[in-house]
Amino acid sequence: MSTPPPPSQPQDQPEVVNTQNADLGDGVNRCPRCGSTDIQLRASTGMLICLFCRHEWSEQQAEGQLFDDGNLTELRGTTIGSGAADIAADVNAVVTLKCQGCGAEVVVNTAAAMSSRCHWCRHVLTINNQIANGAVPDAVLPFALSHEEAVARITEFASKRKTFANRQFLKEFTPQNVVGVYMPYMIVDGNVSSDVYGHGEVETRRYTRGTDENRRTYYDADVYQLHRHVDFTVDDLTIESSAERAMMDTSVNTNNIINTILPFDTKNAVRWNANYLNGFSSEKRDQDVEQLQPALEHQLLSIARSQVAPSVSRYGRGVRWEAEKVDVHGTRWVSMYLPVWLYSYFQKEKNMVHYIAVNGRTGETMGSIPVAQGRLLAVSAAVGVVAEVLAIIILVVS
Amino acid sequence: MGIGAELLATGAPILAAGGSGDGSPAGILLAGPIAAIAVYGLLFRYYRNTDKSHSFETETRIQAAPITGGEQKVNEIRGTQQTQIQGNNVSNHRQRVQRAP
Repeated sequence: MSTPPPPSQPQDQPEVVNTQNADLGDGVNRCPRCGSTDIQLRASTGMLICLFCRHEWSEQQAEGQLFDDGNLTELRGTTIGSGAADIAADVNAVVTLKCQGCGAEVVVNTAAAMSSRCHWCRHVLTINNQIANGAVPDAVLPFALSHEEAVARITEFASKRKTFANRQFLKEFTPQNVVGVYMPYMIVDGNVSSDVYGHGEVETRRYTRGTDENRRTYYDADVYQLHRHVDFTVDDLTIESSAERAMMDTSVNTNNIINTILPFDTKNAVRWNANYLNGFSSEKRDQDVEQLQPALEHQLLSIARSQVAPSVSRYGRGVRWEAEKVDVHGTRWVSMYLPVWLYSYFQKEKNMVHYIAVNGRTGETMGSIPVAQGRLLAVSAAVGVVAEVLAIIILVVS
Repeated sequence: MGIGAELLATGAPILAAGGSGDGSPAGILLAGPIAAIAVYGLLFRYYRNTDKSHSFETETRIQAAPITGGEQKVNEIRGTQQTQIQGNNVSNHRQRVQRAP
């Protein structure tokens, strides 16, 4: 993936919309029917279930509730949900809660989890108040794919790639170890205009000169200076809001694998309730809106170039775009946890973690299987030798 | 850079030379290295998927107004052997170019 462009001019202060789920607080949050705190997600229904009385319920759908979701072409300025607000450097990821059941102090490390069980009275304590460390988002998209389904998809993916897989990887392959992780993303709506400038060529004549081995093809072409303008809106563009996950360099990591299983059905996200995360792990957001502007502009410019491509199809010899610009009239940012089933394998000799990732909603699967270099090189060389022998035979016969 | 990427990069000029279609005996002798590099590259990508990423250009809900703009003929080229415009990036949407003011 190419390097994102430098950030544009600083914008006016964004409007922050309060998205805090007012029905919930930090600490003990009880089942509305029986009062138990043993609550978790039931993936098959997408509902929260009380493990004590089996009552099922769901938080309100976020779409249309967090913002006034009007016509995107009228979007102006920057609006962000309070869960996407800037992270304060002095706010610790570790939160200490006082258990309302027994008064004990319970520690929750929000970098990896949003709940903890009181070691004295066994109540489950959850973090629901938005704190300025990026841990509580505006919304969450619950897992819809079960652990068994994820294991099946990972097994199928890996079984198609056995022949040239690293022998140690095959030996240690344990798909049951797949972990459900809520990954942090920013979901962005935008109202945008873009202009691109360049040159295109249309072939006017094609002819050959010379004879036999000196025969060459020549082209005549008309050169045009081009300009294209496009106004467009994007709905739910999904951007990694963890700096580590956004760093996609395939020579040192396999983060592109997690990126590839996008998109998610973000329209079905619900308002925050930490109980959706019980039994899963989570990664905390560490990027603010301002820091993500370059990534956003890179995606918007790419979309603009994609949109104008059909309008230059008559330039059969291609187009060289030389300059581009994007005017962002309005954006709306929501921070969201998205569900990913993640199988990790650490390849010691390369010092690299290989992921096989499954979209926790759609089941889309992608992975990086470490290769057995020796086998791969041997087979490639063998094919090369066969091709070379055939080439020599053709040369000798002709 | 991974070994696969390195080999692909090394192979690109060879592929270009072999694919020139000049029909010379030396050209056909490149068939072996070309085949070896192609097989390695294809298998490496199939296992490692280093070329994959989210296709946000096509997998995002986008509503675009009709495209506007203009074109003006500025030059004529006669007798070039290049099959396409130099620096053709019409399909490479993610290659960033100079930012216009």
